[in-house]
Amino acid sequence: MSDYTKRKSKEEVILSLKGIALEMHNKMERGNPPTMTLPVRSKTNIAFDKKLEVYKYGKKKTVRDATSLGSARQLLRSLYVTEFIEQMIEAGKSSTLREMYYISESWGHGKFGTQNDSNNLAEDLEIVTKCLREDFKLRPEEDGARIIGNVTFEERNRKGNWMRINCRDDVGDSGYGVPYNVESEKLKLITEDVDFIMAIETGGMFDRLVENGFDEDARCALIHLKGQPARSTRRIMRRMSDEWKKPIIVFSDCDPWSFRIFASIAYGAIKTAHISEYLATKGAHYLGITADDILAYDLPSDDLTKQDLNALDAELTDPRFNSGWWKEQINLMKEMGKKAEQQSLAKYGLDFVTDTYLPEKLSAIGLDY
Amino acid sequence: MVDAKEISSKQKQIAVSEFFEKNKHFLGFDSLQRSLITAVKEAVDNSLDACEEARILPNIRIHIDRLKGGEIRLIAQDNGPGIPRDAVEHVFGKFLLGSRFHAIRQTRGQQGIGITGVVMYSQLTTGEKTKVTSKIASDSSAVFVDIGLNTRKNRAIKSREKRDVWFDEITGEVVEHGLRIEARMKGKYQRGKQSVFQYLRMTSIVNPHATINLIVRDSDGDVYEQGSWNRTTNRLPRVVEEIKPHPHGIQLGTLQRMLRESEERKMTSFLRHNFSGVSMRAAKEILSRAEINENRSPKRISTNDAHGMLDGFQNVKLLPPPTDCLSPIDDLLIKKGLSKAIDSRFAATVTRIPTVSQGNPFQIEVGLVFGGDLTADGPIEVLRFANRVPLMYQQGGCALTKAIESIDWKRYGLDHPGAKGLPKGAAAVLIHLASTNVQFTSEAKEAVAENDEVFEEIRRALLEVGRGLKNHLKKKAQRKKAKEKFELINVILPEISKKTSKLLGKPEPNLSPVITQIMNAVFCEETLGWDSQQKLATCLIEVFNYTARARAYTILVKWPESDTVKMAVNPLGGRKEARGIWAWRIETINPGCSTTINIGLSGLTKGDWADTDIFFRGNGDIIGATKIDEKLLEEMRTTESLNAAQNEINEQYSEKEVDHLIQRADSAAKSELDSQLIDAPPPESHSSSIQNGEPKISDYLTEELE
Repeated sequence: MSDYTKRKSKEEVILSLKGIALEMHNKMERGNPPTMTLPVRSKTNIAFDKKLEVYKYGKKKTVRDATSLGSARQLLRSLYVTEFIEQMIEAGKSSTLREMYYISESWGHGKFGTQNDSNNLAEDLEIVTKCLREDFKLRPEEDGARIIGNVTFEERNRKGNWMRINCRDDVGDSGYGVPYNVESEKLKLITEDVDFIMAIETGGMFDRLVENGFDEDARCALIHLKGQPARSTRRIMRRMSDEWKKPIIVFSDCDPWSFRIFASIAYGAIKTAHISEYLATKGAHYLGITADDILAYDLPSDDLTKQDLNALDAELTDPRFNSGWWKEQINLMKEMGKKAEQQSLAKYGLDFVTDTYLPEKLSAIGLDY
Repeated sequence: MVDAKEISSKQKQIAVSEFFEKNKHFLGFDSLQRSLITAVKEAVDNSLDACEEARILPNIRIHIDRLKGGEIRLIAQDNGPGIPRDAVEHVFGKFLLGSRFHAIRQTRGQQGIGITGVVMYSQLTTGEKTKVTSKIASDSSAVFVDIGLNTRKNRAIKSREKRDVWFDEITGEVVEHGLRIEARMKGKYQRGKQSVFQYLRMTSIVNPHATINLIVRDSDGDVYEQGSWNRTTNRLPRVVEEIKPHPHGIQLGTLQRMLRESEERKMTSFLRHNFSGVSMRAAKEILSRAEINENRSPKRISTNDAHGMLDGFQNVKLLPPPTDCLSPIDDLLIKKGLSKAIDSRFAATVTRIPTVSQGNPFQIEVGLVFGGDLTADGPIEVLRFANRVPLMYQQGGCALTKAIESIDWKRYGLDHPGAKGLPKGAAAVLIHLASTNVQFTSEAKEAVAENDEVFEEIRRALLEVGRGLKNHLKKKAQRKKAKEKFELINVILPEISKKTSKLLGKPEPNLSPVITQIMNAVFCEETLGWDSQQKLATCLIEVFNYTARARAYTILVKWPESDTVKMAVNPLGGRKEARGIWAWRIETINPGCSTTINIGLSGLTKGDWADTDIFFRGNGDIIGATKIDEKLLEEMRTTESLNAAQNEINEQYSEKEVDHLIQRADSAAKSELDSQLIDAPPPESHSSSIQNGEPKISDYLTEELE
């Protein structure tokens, strides 16, 4: 197991954070501008880790040093964040990234310019310290996923008690809401009676499958991804895959952005490549909608925009899509100049997706029901 | 091109109203909106011309009431010399046909037919008479009179004439001298790019000696639009000399008319007395080329012979025409005028040396303003002027605009997509063409016709202000960078060090070697300011050494040295290196240390000194200063010593005597001098013409020497 999945004690977290301050201090003592060293975070610096079977940052490092005003400010912010996290850990509190952004108002020159600045910095600190955001007591703003299906979790509630929840019987129509922390100290996977887990991009399709009783008919758990899935969503899928040995099936729109959603689930996202082995589910399968499906099912489609085409081109040079099947799909899409939504299946009626499309697609990969 | 005056003279027999009706499009009365602008224009031009002649600083008030039924009441009032009672009829009631055609000088140039057009237009559209009030200083009372036109006889009809004391409507004071016109006409007041407001704003830019006020009211008396432009100088435009036409610009018809109307008995004297630039030698050569006997009477020259003369004009070497018939605005005044009408952060202006095209002297002035309240999206604003008259229409077809478009502005820091059309950005460009004969594309006189020499002069001037802009933007970027660096080492770095020390529980490190590493440069910052108590324009120069070793430099500053601008405060002493360049030797600046130079200049007003250049001499670059070009400095010194010598000569001969000198030189017709002068191109700039060697007469003609 890597450094990330090993839970760290408070002291270890503070010590790793102080390592950042130490690098700066040592430089200054030697008469040099303070620095912070971190990997380059772009698609040019992600590579497939054969051992972990996910995409990780490569060897390219960037040194952020205080020779320009922008990076000097970023260094100062890191120190303010370090101080802030130390205080939170000692006080037993946590805060959202957004709260930290507002707290930075009082940090003078260490104040964040935008929320994005603070999010990026939290990721930088994770990378440099090999700690998790959760270790820093920083919570994301993003929504966790919803789950419906015959699976049972135990979640520790606010009072510190473990609560057992079956995601079919104990929840309403909106399903079980995944908390931001899905590590073992907060969430346990208890039992399941499903054959696979299906991750769905859009809420409309998720609700359609729930209404049609697809989870019971097909013996599966349904997860609503809510667009680009939050870390906790990807993490819980990874845990279900690891601990229950269930296949993860991804069902999304057919457009370049949905492909990226899949890539982040299956291979890791570029922004979080430092913790890919902890978030990515290597066996995840892209079920549809594929470019072939648009033709095979004669689905209503939209023209690709300029941005779509740029995104597709970018994917052709993205190492995560460097497989024959993906290249074929992407090139086919470019050729057609079309994209389609999941809900375009409604062309053939509300039940078409559960009666025809999904059974056919699942059967093709050996998941008959 | 036939000009309006010629047309009108041919049509004298026709009723004037008919003439007006037929030609109103180029008299400026074609649309309701434009008619009002033209009326204001005629009144304002008249006022400015009259004040200039009488050497009065003009105060002009324009009052416009938007009445019901699409009618407008226009009141124009000035503090000019006024018009004597007997002349009122003449001024307002007749088309002022042709001033003496053989006298050439730069005039605002009537748009069509002058103020009579306003009287005519009012009468034709509303049937109303124009109310005129005039007071001349020597009369005890003012004349109040209504002027109408007898359009068949081309004569004014006076009515309700009376004499009375004239009290100003606003101040209530007795008016000493001035003119007030009140006319009622069909018209439309519209705001925007082609409006009375814009016309007056532009007029104020090129007439910085005038104070102009505008107030426009709705039919219910509410203020609809107003503008107020105060004078920024008390210096009136200089009186321009009339000159005779130069043979290079003469056409057959004009020549024949001049011959016909000449009183001279001999052709040689005809040529020498009616033209500028024709010496006796040249006159003889022209005549011999055209095979005309020198003693023939001008009245008897045939068309064929006149053709021969024209040929001679082009092929015989002639003196260039004098250029003191032009009245440039002067670059400093343009700057003031521009900053009065447009609030912007950067202004560069250039007044080129007068030059000659086809026998017509002309001079180009250009101004460029950037930043401030100018809007950044869309094309730059173009302000075109011909002989101090704003050109408001036909911008795209004007040679002045085309000259702007011909420059690749991207190189000078403006957005210029495809280097086509006008550049974009928060800038305005002013072009003033002063000439004894501005060639327009049409009788409407709104767009300047293309002319290679004029075009080239404008381009040169634009490139010069463009370089200024580029410099300014570069400096701005450099200053921003320096400011960031200062913040970095003075604020952020100490805070980083404080934080790491606190987090780690360690003592704070010594930051000076870190600072040296980060900066590793010498910085220079200058701050221009204004000491309101002592009335001094101040400049503070700080030099910071952030390198690891001690530095020594000579710092030089450019300052607007002149007879009136002196260095009043200068505690460090230093020395003068050239005119407008002062230098201080700074012996040692240790690592991490800084030195300050401060000076105060007297003889300037607030805002006059808005931009300067700092130079240095020494090893190692200084960020924020430029290494001095020793060659250029040497050149400047040479120029200066030559100037000093010239000034001595100047002192010996007063201006009048110089004129005599020229005339003597002219009439003596020394052939060597002639050929020498004619071969030399018109002087490009002061320095170049002076460096060519011995002083030339042409140098005396190009304004005062620097």
